[in-house]
Amino acid sequence: MEEDGGRAIKTVVRYSDSELRLAARTLMDLMKRDHSQVRYLTLLIIDELFMRSKLFRTLVVENLDQLLSLSVGFRRNHPLPAPPAVASILRSKAIEFLEKWNSSFGIHYRQIRLGFDYLKTSLRLQFPNVQANAAREEIRETVDEIGECLEIVKKKEANVVLGALDDDDDDDFEEFRPLDLRQLRLDSLKEGEKVCENSENKVVFDALRELYKLLVTKHMVSVKEGISVLIRVEVADTRLRDSMLKEFIDIRNRLQSVKKKCVDSGCSLPDLTKLDKEEEEDFWEEGKVESTDPGSFSEPSKRNENSAAPPTSGQVKNDPSECRTKKSKRQEFLCSEGGGSDSSSLRSKLIAEAPVIEWGSFLDTWGSNRDVLANQRGLDLESHWGRVDHDAVIPAKKIAELNLHATLYKEERVEIQPCQAPLGKGGLCQRRDLRVCPFHGPIIPRDDEGNPINQGTSTSDDITLDPGTDLVEQLTKQAVKECSGQR
Amino acid sequence: MWREIRDREAGKTRPNSFKNRVSSSRIFDLQLSNYKDVVSPHRGSINSLQVDLTEGRYLLSGASDASASVFDIQHATDFEGGGEGALIAKHKSLITIDKQHQNGHKFAISSAIWYTIDTGLFVTGSYDHYIKVWDTNSTQMVMNFKMPGKVYRTAMSPLATSHMLIAAGTEDVQVRLCDIASGAFAHTLSGHRDGVMTVEWSTSSEWVLVTGGCDGAIRFWDIRRAGCFLVLDQSQSQLGRRPPLLARSAVNKVSTSKALSKGQNISVKPRLPQKKSGSGNGIKHSPIGQIPAKGSLKQRLHPGMLSSQDRATAHYGAVTGLKTTEDGMYLLSAGSDSRIRLWDVKSGRNTLVNFETARLQTSKPIQLATTQDSNLVFVPCMTSVKAFDIWSGRTRVTFRGHYEYVNCCWFSSQDQELYTGGNDRQILVWSPARLISNEDSSPAEDQDNWSD
Repeated sequence: MEEDGGRAIKTVVRYSDSELRLAARTLMDLMKRDHSQVRYLTLLIIDELFMRSKLFRTLVVENLDQLLSLSVGFRRNHPLPAPPAVASILRSKAIEFLEKWNSSFGIHYRQIRLGFDYLKTSLRLQFPNVQANAAREEIRETVDEIGECLEIVKKKEANVVLGALDDDDDDDFEEFRPLDLRQLRLDSLKEGEKVCENSENKVVFDALRELYKLLVTKHMVSVKEGISVLIRVEVADTRLRDSMLKEFIDIRNRLQSVKKKCVDSGCSLPDLTKLDKEEEEDFWEEGKVESTDPGSFSEPSKRNENSAAPPTSGQVKNDPSECRTKKSKRQEFLCSEGGGSDSSSLRSKLIAEAPVIEWGSFLDTWGSNRDVLANQRGLDLESHWGRVDHDAVIPAKKIAELNLHATLYKEERVEIQPCQAPLGKGGLCQRRDLRVCPFHGPIIPRDDEGNPINQGTSTSDDITLDPGTDLVEQLTKQAVKECSGQR
Repeated sequence: MWREIRDREAGKTRPNSFKNRVSSSRIFDLQLSNYKDVVSPHRGSINSLQVDLTEGRYLLSGASDASASVFDIQHATDFEGGGEGALIAKHKSLITIDKQHQNGHKFAISSAIWYTIDTGLFVTGSYDHYIKVWDTNSTQMVMNFKMPGKVYRTAMSPLATSHMLIAAGTEDVQVRLCDIASGAFAHTLSGHRDGVMTVEWSTSSEWVLVTGGCDGAIRFWDIRRAGCFLVLDQSQSQLGRRPPLLARSAVNKVSTSKALSKGQNISVKPRLPQKKSGSGNGIKHSPIGQIPAKGSLKQRLHPGMLSSQDRATAHYGAVTGLKTTEDGMYLLSAGSDSRIRLWDVKSGRNTLVNFETARLQTSKPIQLATTQDSNLVFVPCMTSVKAFDIWSGRTRVTFRGHYEYVNCCWFSSQDQELYTGGNDRQILVWSPARLISNEDSSPAEDQDNWSD
């Protein structure tokens, strides 16, 4: 039955379309037999042909509901026939086939989609979810294998490492060494932990490298994709989403811990780390975008501060596994510091130029160009004065209008010169008038005794005009300044 | 196809006949559409489907989970299947009214219909005894009517210009007419002896209402006067279809005319001319029952009518579905006795066309659909929908796709598409095969794959 029979059927059926039609009809008739074993075997043949021939698919799909009721037995008045053990196998196999058919041909046949949807959503049958399980299984296997490899390597090297380790520990307790030296020590300790590759364990290392590559390039990427899709997608059933997300995150954590172990073990791994790191950074940045933190634009300045602080060697964490990543990060920081200092100088220049404005409520909406929801303050009483339109919006233009920034014109204080004309009783006139003193005429510059300075050289008109224009100029300057300040 | 187009351009065939030929050939091509999905948001069986009569664009569905939805069937909301090939257009609901809505129905919606003048309003009738009128744009309830029992079916006249009445068939024996203009019951029509499963307005007169009850009676009402003026009797029969005005073209269509019937046909024929003259000019202004001679006798008997006439039945068991043909001359009825009958409205007789139905759903009202040229009737027969030739009763096409009983179907004559809804919560679209199949450019091609 199995191999030869199948092949024979295939060759006969391929011969012509009419043979195929006949086969479809015969198989459907066989499906109607009152015996589960017959139906089961028939279903296997149907699946074989279904995956291969288009014509056969179109023929079968026309009577898909019948086929399903005969193989799944979902109609209560037509239960599956006699041997109950085979019947349950038939049922599960039929469900599995339907899922397979749906994933590979569902897009071409509405009937398949319909049947699948009906069994899944209306009858709530449990589909085996073959694909997802396969992926999960694969990941688990990889993780297990890596674990085994590491075990082997560790066992071999354990006795060699131990002695060195103790020595280093002793040294390490002496706290008074300078920090740099201590760092050196730690590095060497780490080196000691690393396992040297040699001809003996080369095979294991090769396998490990291969698995590591698989882990980083395939599994972690797919898990990340899954998570990002889940984050982005909006579903009605948030519970399901949460549980799926949790599962994903668990898998990711496990993968990361395994990866860390690999790095710790110190075998010279293929240079995937860089690529991987980049991807990781990318991923988290995406996460940030997702959350649309309004305060995120303050981030760069903070980072600048961070990088501006002198990086001390003491800051380097003692955790050996983190060491390498830290270093690469520092590198990045240094790069960004160069850019950072540039930008900060530009910033200070701009700050020096920028006008200073008083604080006000208008600053809340500074630079934003968004509509504001009118009834979302949380203050309105629910429908107290009638129905409340929760979607009412104040347009951005109106907001700008409402927040129009007005300042009072403030005159700059100008020291008005005293008149300084000599008085009859002695001393100088102390009246402060803008242009003309009511007793001594126009105000002109005078020396200490009160004698006009330039009286001889120019006419009095000129002199009186001059400070006047000066003043006007000053006032206009001041006004301009205020204006720009407002803006 | 191209030759036909050339003939039309050359003037050899009339545009109208060309159109009819194309559309009827498309109708016989109907199959389960693979490129048009209506994504049903309903979690209960679909009881009612209607495409609006003004634009032919919005599909209204009512379901047992007390929800009603509107779909745009011309513009898909999104596509699936990637690439330019086997694209699946998904039509998601634009509006859904369900139990969560502040004025939503509490129990199953049995009937959801559009206001006939435009798509600004629609009407839902529910098992919670209410008929509600909704504003489509704001999805708010505009008006509601409390009925004495479960509402089975509501109907609005497609040609009414002088009234805005919703006819409602309920558990109660009386048929009520709800007036949207005043918000009150305009009429209460009593005559049925049991609940009223279906109501249908005549397509030839705006004042004639046809109702079918659980008592097996089909009654005709002229809403301008009291009482019903016609009760259909299944034992009053005529053989076949009356020949239409163009007698010549119809002779071959009278399929049930046998040797025996010839004599009767001849005897009927002399009466024909005077009947036609009666209906020809007066059809818009008078109820169809302006029957000469014998009809006037009936009218005199009315409203009391002879008790034997008043007790006539159209089906054994309940009448579950009614549909008038587009021209208003014939009435199709479906009953819980699993029969479909074709009635000549003019004479009020059973035409004895034998429809090859296997079984019909008995407990629920079903919704029939006809094509515009009144050649086919679509009938939900348990889990499938069958298209019958109206004049011969032969099964032309069987649409199998639903996994549970089908309750309703609607034929959109504009696109030649059939929509069916059933207990499996699906709304299926049956459309003619695409002229240009672009399957070969599909991303994952559907091909033979013989491994050896």
